[in-house]
Amino acid sequence: MFRLSELEEDALKEFFNMGLGMAANSLSQMVNNEVLLTLPKLKVVPYEEATRMLVANQDEKLVAVRQNFKGELTGTALLIFPGSESLELVRTLLNEEIPLEVLTELEQETLLDVGNVILNAFLKSFTQMMHVEFEFESAEFLKGSSRFLLDITSHLAAQNHSLMEYADADADERAFVLMMDFKTSDENNTNHTLSGFVVLLFSQQAMLILRRELEVILSNL
Amino acid sequence: MDKKKALIVDDSSLARMMVRKFFSDGFEDWDLIEAKDAMDALEKIEGQFLHLALIDFNMPGMNGIDLAEKILEKQPGIAIHLVTANIQERMQLRAQAIGIGFIKKPISREKIIAAMQEQTK
Repeated sequence: MFRLSELEEDALKEFFNMGLGMAANSLSQMVNNEVLLTLPKLKVVPYEEATRMLVANQDEKLVAVRQNFKGELTGTALLIFPGSESLELVRTLLNEEIPLEVLTELEQETLLDVGNVILNAFLKSFTQMMHVEFEFESAEFLKGSSRFLLDITSHLAAQNHSLMEYADADADERAFVLMMDFKTSDENNTNHTLSGFVVLLFSQQAMLILRRELEVILSNL
Repeated sequence: MDKKKALIVDDSSLARMMVRKFFSDGFEDWDLIEAKDAMDALEKIEGQFLHLALIDFNMPGMNGIDLAEKILEKQPGIAIHLVTANIQERMQLRAQAIGIGFIKKPISREKIIAAMQEQTK
């Protein structure tokens, strides 16, 4: 089974920390509030285990923005919010007075914009220190259970991957998941606290490219 | 001539390794003290006179701003820079409010040189 060394994992955590910092900066400008960053909790786990972790933590419906990226590094990035918090984010971004029905209508469009900005900032952290190039595809809005959001078949299909490519692989070897969480500041109004996860799904091949890049960086230090 | 002393505090091994590389390659007149968190830093700098401190914000235990304030209590006037990926305006204002510098990650040789030049002003 694929494993990163402690140092490689530490380095990856630091890259994501920078990515999350950039993403949080974009989000804080949008919500006009500070986004508190927790210590990065990076987990590199086989896909099946990640699904179990997320399913165990979340009973309610979730909303997500999915951003696929392609190139030297191919994968899927997901920005996931608890369903109840997504409307609060939309309310914060737009207008306090907007009635719930209208908010719901605007939810998808607004979260796509937010997700796009956050995930792009987050993914650019890879290009700050690694020599990998990739392009973003258009973001998509998803709503459903955590099991639905982490449905690997759907993500692979969206990436236009041949599912046969993965057919021979052990279920645990098909994808790896990097998860980080964040929350917004809660200085004035508890209703506007927002928390979520950034989840990255990589194939084993993509993880090997990541490791190669990490090895290059670490060997120069 | 005695070497100057710099402190790097960061829970990321990568961040510390990067700073160590910069100091070992071109800054031979500096000694670098490395610490992985605030408590580690406070222990290691006990009795030492620092010229420059580079401190991460988000660390287990005490955060970088609180650590900077503790160091400033012991050594007023020391050049301290918050080195962080958290580049939000409020974080920059927080650093400014206690009179310390702000360096956006990733750290680079140029950013360290700028911090050193500030230290000599």
